[in-house]
Amino acid sequence: MAAERHPAAPPEVTCRGLSRTFYGRGGAVEAVRPLDLTFAAGETTALVGPSGCGKSTLLRLIAGLEAPTTGRVEIGGETPLAVRRRAGLAVGFQDPSLLPWRTVRGNVALALRLARQPADEEAVARLIGLVGLDGFAGSRPAALSGGMRQRAAIARCLVTRPGLLLLDEPFGAVDELTRQRLAQDLPRLWEARGTTTLFVTHSVTEAVMIADRVLVFSPRPADVVEDVTVDLPRPRRADIALSDAFRALTERVSAALSAGFAAAERPLAAE
Amino acid sequence: MIDATLARLTASGRLGSVNGILLVFAGWELSARALSGAFLLASPTEVLAYLAQNPGLMGRALAATLAEAAAGFVIGNLAAMALALIVILTPRLERTIAALALLVFCLPLVATGPILRVLFGPGVGPQVTLAALAVYYTTFVPLLVGLRAAPATWFDVIRSYGRGRWTELVQVRAAAALPYLVAGLQIAAPAAILGAMVGEFTGAERGLGVLTIRAMRGLDVPGTWSLATLAAGVSVAAYAGVGWIGRQLSSGPPPVILAAPVSPGGAVGPRRVAGGFAHLALIAVLVLALWTGLMDLFGLNPFFAKRPDDVWRFLVTAPQAAEHRATLFWALAETMAVTLPGYFAGLALGALIAAAIVLVPPIAAVAMPVAVALRSVPIVTTAPLIILLLGRGALGTITLVAVMIFFPTFVACLHGLRQAPGQVIDVFDSYASSRLQRLMLAQVPAMLPAFFAAARMAVPAAILAATVVEWLATGIGVGSLMALSASLSDYGMLWSAVAVVSLTACTLYAGVARLERAVLAVYASEQFA
Repeated sequence: MAAERHPAAPPEVTCRGLSRTFYGRGGAVEAVRPLDLTFAAGETTALVGPSGCGKSTLLRLIAGLEAPTTGRVEIGGETPLAVRRRAGLAVGFQDPSLLPWRTVRGNVALALRLARQPADEEAVARLIGLVGLDGFAGSRPAALSGGMRQRAAIARCLVTRPGLLLLDEPFGAVDELTRQRLAQDLPRLWEARGTTTLFVTHSVTEAVMIADRVLVFSPRPADVVEDVTVDLPRPRRADIALSDAFRALTERVSAALSAGFAAAERPLAAE
Repeated sequence: MIDATLARLTASGRLGSVNGILLVFAGWELSARALSGAFLLASPTEVLAYLAQNPGLMGRALAATLAEAAAGFVIGNLAAMALALIVILTPRLERTIAALALLVFCLPLVATGPILRVLFGPGVGPQVTLAALAVYYTTFVPLLVGLRAAPATWFDVIRSYGRGRWTELVQVRAAAALPYLVAGLQIAAPAAILGAMVGEFTGAERGLGVLTIRAMRGLDVPGTWSLATLAAGVSVAAYAGVGWIGRQLSSGPPPVILAAPVSPGGAVGPRRVAGGFAHLALIAVLVLALWTGLMDLFGLNPFFAKRPDDVWRFLVTAPQAAEHRATLFWALAETMAVTLPGYFAGLALGALIAAAIVLVPPIAAVAMPVAVALRSVPIVTTAPLIILLLGRGALGTITLVAVMIFFPTFVACLHGLRQAPGQVIDVFDSYASSRLQRLMLAQVPAMLPAFFAAARMAVPAAILAATVVEWLATGIGVGSLMALSASLSDYGMLWSAVAVVSLTACTLYAGVARLERAVLAVYASEQFA
């Protein structure tokens, strides 16, 4: 049984002088300004910031899907490529990116194949159950709702038991109700395994609800304007959102977000 | 990493095309020198010398062909737009119009050419008509897809202002269809030149096609190669020119046209099958009525203009009907025996080479522009060359059919290989999977819809290529039979051949389209939904 296969210990992630500049027809665009960041092993960090601020680029840099202009990334002392080669990380993209010709089961099993891990029908079935897609294992993505596709994509991320989980708006493009449910249920899956998790979100409440730490980014180029530690007890239930501590944290994050906007000097035109 | 590769590809695109074209010319020159004395292959330098020595002759012929092609281009495309408009404004007629359009597209040019020659007499009538016939379908299909390509919400915006179908058409559909129309017109430009040249093969006074026939009969190797080069060069230029104009008009990237011309949906199961048969019967009645009606309308001479009942008598009830059938179907079998291997070889090579080439991005950068350029070469007009090179046996015809099918398939597959949905390639990269794994698990399945679209459009092309070679060179098969019947004024056989060949082409086309729909339902569910 898959449970017998122990996942790798979660790694610490460090970024040293990490930056990314895109060179296009319109000249150079600095997406991520040189950053020094450390993400502790086993911690869940939310990356919050305005649209297009470079959060996704940062995630792709950490995964090694994008080459940095300067600096480097180390995941537990290894390069991202070395970690990807042994399937030590998994990325959940904004778009669920399921293969339309494969069933949910086939899409989840695909990750095992790509990770060069033995086919494990039982583990695949269990994860599909855990994300609440029982009875849909044989369905193709076209037959699923947006939220169900997102959950299938998350099952695909988890099935290889990665030590590092990088999620880019994992609950984007999902209706509010499903979103709240996912935000409550899914973190338990990776918390139980002690995975190092980085996730990008637009939702301040979601960030505070899920994360141990919230990093607030300025508009492009991405730069950290606030680093908030979320010391709320776990497991967190929905009613924790009503507590004063929770409200104080969300207000702090929101204030930092607005400050970032103000600093970027891009006020909305009056009328 | 993919981004970096793509950036490199685009940056080297222009350089790649220059390199690729230089490579083609170098290979051509070298093989011509190696084969010198075999009287098969004229080198680029010989071609240039020939063109320089005969500027007046070539210039006049080129001007004549271009004028016919341009007239056919305009008429055919206007017809395509009119048909597409009718379909959009009266959706209920769609399946009927699409079926009739397909049938006309499947008419064998080899037979319609001589028939038109009798109808029009000397002059440019047949050339212009064949050019128009060669272009209208390849514009009609993408245009129809384009007119439907606008997202549903755009229509809601129009309706929320209380406007109707006409505003919808002008404000939304026309704008959404423009890139598709441009893509169709681009393919139509070289096709018009092909149609005009095939028309000239049927006995015109001037034009590149006339000189080609003359050069081939006179075993004039440099002449044959020069004419083919000139036709190819003009076609590539027309393709590039229309593409350039299109880019000035619309900013959108050229779309990949996947959807089958007839939208799916409607009843399913036995009801749909029954509906299908009823519809087929309706089309058949309509075709027979149009066939007879047009002949009556123009008061055509019954000796020459055979009606459906004449064809029936010729093939079924006449005393020598069995003999007629044997001749016709034997000739058709001969044609199919070379068409099908060429068709499958062209498809297989196109898909395999496209798939292999994406494993080596630098080669793709060189091959893509060359393939796009060569796709616009009207291969049929190079038939004499292939016969010169490979002889009059089956191999020559099979090769020509394969070459004719190869380029569009190859280009469609290369586009299709880039169609992997969303960030799927990123998913593969996040496990550092190999290029081969990415190809086999993501890119090849994503390519299937484009491949089947190419396979469908290749059916009439393959039959056209085979019949033209049979007519011009090999003297066997239904192509030769039609040419012979035309010259012997055996119009019973000619019209019967037209009916049988068109029906065969339509049936094969419909078969591939059916397969395509099944593939689309699984592999491109988002386009299908």
